[in-house]
Amino acid sequence: MAKTVLCLCRDITAEDVKRAVAEGYGDMETLKRFTGAVTGPCQGKTCQDAIRRYVAALTGRSIEQVPVPPTRPPVSPVRIGTLAARHRQ
Amino acid sequence: MRRTYDAVIIGAGIVGLSLAYELARRRFGRIVVIDASYPGSGATGRCGEMIRSCFSSPEWIELFDDSLKRWQRLSDELDFNVLFTKRGELLLASTPDVDHKQRDAYGLHRHYGLSVELLDHNQVRELCPAIAPEMIVGGLLQTDAGNAHHDAAVWAYGAAAHRHGVEVHPYTTVTDVTVESGAVTAIHTTKGTFSTPVVVDAAGGQARDVALLAGVDVPVDTVRWEAFVTEPLEPFLRPLVSASAINGYCHQTSRGEFVGGTTPDITDYSTGVRSTLALARDMATRWLRVFPGLAGVRMMRHWSGLVTQTADSSPILCEAPGCQGFYLDCGWTYGFMGAPAAGSLMAELITTGSAPRTLAPFGIERFSSGKLVRDKSIVIVDSERSA
Repeated sequence: MAKTVLCLCRDITAEDVKRAVAEGYGDMETLKRFTGAVTGPCQGKTCQDAIRRYVAALTGRSIEQVPVPPTRPPVSPVRIGTLAARHRQ
Repeated sequence: MRRTYDAVIIGAGIVGLSLAYELARRRFGRIVVIDASYPGSGATGRCGEMIRSCFSSPEWIELFDDSLKRWQRLSDELDFNVLFTKRGELLLASTPDVDHKQRDAYGLHRHYGLSVELLDHNQVRELCPAIAPEMIVGGLLQTDAGNAHHDAAVWAYGAAAHRHGVEVHPYTTVTDVTVESGAVTAIHTTKGTFSTPVVVDAAGGQARDVALLAGVDVPVDTVRWEAFVTEPLEPFLRPLVSASAINGYCHQTSRGEFVGGTTPDITDYSTGVRSTLALARDMATRWLRVFPGLAGVRMMRHWSGLVTQTADSSPILCEAPGCQGFYLDCGWTYGFMGAPAAGSLMAELITTGSAPRTLAPFGIERFSSGKLVRDKSIVIVDSERSA
């Protein structure tokens, strides 16, 4: 059966999001924690927009009415060795 | 708007929610939990999720072993999977001195019947091949320690409390507390006034400010710690690891990510939760000493959380002296770990009026009487305090 994958890092499908919203995890803060969506290596850069649109549609809100969680550093994943390097000199 | 309740709990983290559930289970009446943000938004959702009981003082062992046993059956009790995973926890000894202290504590652990094993250098290497050999002198392994999903635990307690009639009001900030003739009578919030004879301060990083509204001085410092998570990796680390040599704690999640935190050397007295590059680099540097293989692994995200530290780093669990009905469930450094036991014990104190034996050592009067409760096996910097 065809599936619509919304979060590629975590393999979260539209069906997963729909079920989570139905269980009451209807905003991005709780949805990401319940499903793991937007918490993979892309940190939502690939998927957050699409998921947000879908959540808005499912809950009858405009996109602006679905707040996004805070963006945490780093902007792109950084190797631990790169972060530590200068300290070690 | 004016409403009447039997108890108002300030703070919908795991500490406040477990207490709400335990009070409701004892049919205490109308209970409401308020939070300035969403449930679990503070320290609970930011913590390292470590759960163990192999501490070095009888007081901590009794409190946290009660809690560990509750964690082990919590999913069944609350009918919600909190994802407790019995990975075991390794307390890594990187110096002979620490190894010696852990061997001393082992006797106490055996006395309390904890599932602990003392490991030598080779046994630690076999258990955790990823740890740098030069960092290993020995180790203490608690085999039934573990971790749970912090958000799932919040939802589990929240749902169970709700089934017992508890109301949870998110985005509701307390603005004042009314105390009349030495007893609390009401709290005032951004969503109106709640009349109540019982108020519990479970406000985590904001606990001191909340207590001041009732005229109660809680001797805690609020400090900012950080933690980070890497991209997912093949399974390489079975137990949780606590590494006193770097003041760090970590585990590999069931999704494969390495999650680690450290206590900074310089105490950051703050109620802010912004992350800093300085601490990201500090954490990276420290964890590379223990796990050199992480050098090529990418950090996906790092974040801050607040812990509250008392003079002895133990929590404050009691009724506030001179303010009848105002209870303190704060000053936690290990609040996630201890919440299931504390919720039950505090509920017993509130419903019966007398502190259960396990709870008694954690009263606020210890700071004036000098009967401090110090545990030497916790991973925090307390050089100023331990002198």
